Amino acid sequence: MFLDPRILIMFGANALLLYLSLLVNSALSSWSLYLVLLGPMLVLPAIFLRHRSYLLCILLTGLWVDAELPCQFGLLTLGFLTAGACIFQIRFRFRAEHNYHPIILSHSCNLFCIALISIATGFEYLSVSSFWIQILITTVLSHGLLTIVAPWFFDLQRLLFELCRLETEPEDFPIL
Amino acid sequence: MAKLRLDKLKPLVALGVFLIAWWIVPPVIKSFLKISFTEFQAPSWVVSSYLEDLQGFWARRSHSKIELIEAGRELARKKAYYQYIAQRNESLEAEVDRLESILHMPTRREFRYEVARVVRRDLSAWWQQIIIRKGRDYNIPEGAAVIFSSGVVGRVVEVNAFTSRIELVTSPNFRMAATFETDGRPVIYQGVVQSGFGRATGSVNDAPQDIIANSQAPLKLVSTSLGGTFPPGLTIGSVSWLEPGSTGIFQAGEVTLDERLLSLHEVSVLIPLNPLEPNNDVP
Repeated sequence: MFLDPRILIMFGANALLLYLSLLVNSALSSWSLYLVLLGPMLVLPAIFLRHRSYLLCILLTGLWVDAELPCQFGLLTLGFLTAGACIFQIRFRFRAEHNYHPIILSHSCNLFCIALISIATGFEYLSVSSFWIQILITTVLSHGLLTIVAPWFFDLQRLLFELCRLETEPEDFPIL
Repeated sequence: MAKLRLDKLKPLVALGVFLIAWWIVPPVIKSFLKISFTEFQAPSWVVSSYLEDLQGFWARRSHSKIELIEAGRELARKKAYYQYIAQRNESLEAEVDRLESILHMPTRREFRYEVARVVRRDLSAWWQQIIIRKGRDYNIPEGAAVIFSSGVVGRVVEVNAFTSRIELVTSPNFRMAATFETDGRPVIYQGVVQSGFGRATGSVNDAPQDIIANSQAPLKLVSTSLGGTFPPGLTIGSVSWLEPGSTGIFQAGEVTLDERLLSLHEVSVLIPLNPLEPNNDVP
């Protein structure tokens, strides 16, 4: 098949995760708390899909996130492609059938996204202490929640693959 | 082996191609992409906002009749009070108009108030924005002032078909001309990076040296008509202390803003009835 049909499920799940995280952020605004849960979005596409499908899924997800968040348009698309390329390069090393490796990858990607947004959006405030306090709170809270959200998110995607009778294993299974 | 190496390079090549394409692609296409994605997503937020309204409606329906009668009575009392205030306001406005015409003062800018529900709040270290449920469908202009019951909320920065994005007064990108209520001289208000935990603050700069503020009697910072966007007299916040600024000529201080800014549900957009003409009007 020219394109893997799983990209629809992965993109849909990514859009759902973003929508839910923004709903929670809206509710948490009175405590000045914010969550960044972008890391899990690019892990399974980079591990599961062939390059053409992976690229389309990541590109669509990146543009979707860029349109939702008030940062410079294209920033997170570029960030997703960069992080995705790094994972794609070494994807043979990861065990995709369990959640352990994807969770670690999602934490790394999330940290990368937080760093990218901080540098691109708040470069002029890097010397302001309250900026760093806010970033620290956001990072701790996001990664704390990610330990619960990431396994649920990956299991949800696998469940949807099963329900739609699609392949539940990566295209290029790692050589053991 | 050679095939494997080429395969491994694919994502890097794709990244490079994307970078080059993003560089050379005209801004019109980028803008088109952004608008398309934003407009595609907007209905989901509008629907969730309506669902929230419905949830509120059903929650209110569960109240007993006695509670509703008491609430109605309270509302009637407040309505009578506000009717009296409105009458008084009308007579005072007529008096102001009469005095202005005697003194040949220039006409003030008039605004239409468009009340809108807040769909989403994005308050983080990087951005301080909210999204409202009205856009081009209600002729919301970009740059319009946004207020709520306790004063200034911010400014419209992006208008879409059914939603608008508002930069909050707490955002470091927000800056406006202001004045102290007891003093007519202009100062500059600017948002700052928020320290978090539900406390909204800003900063005031270029305050004259003779102004003294203390925590017992904080100074009220209000909007001024100098910027042209906001009508004069709207509350921005209160200033408890002032200290010499970086230049040494003026004073600077912290502005304590209303905490309700962080959990807004409804705001009003001020749409000018006679928009400023950049070529003819002096701001």
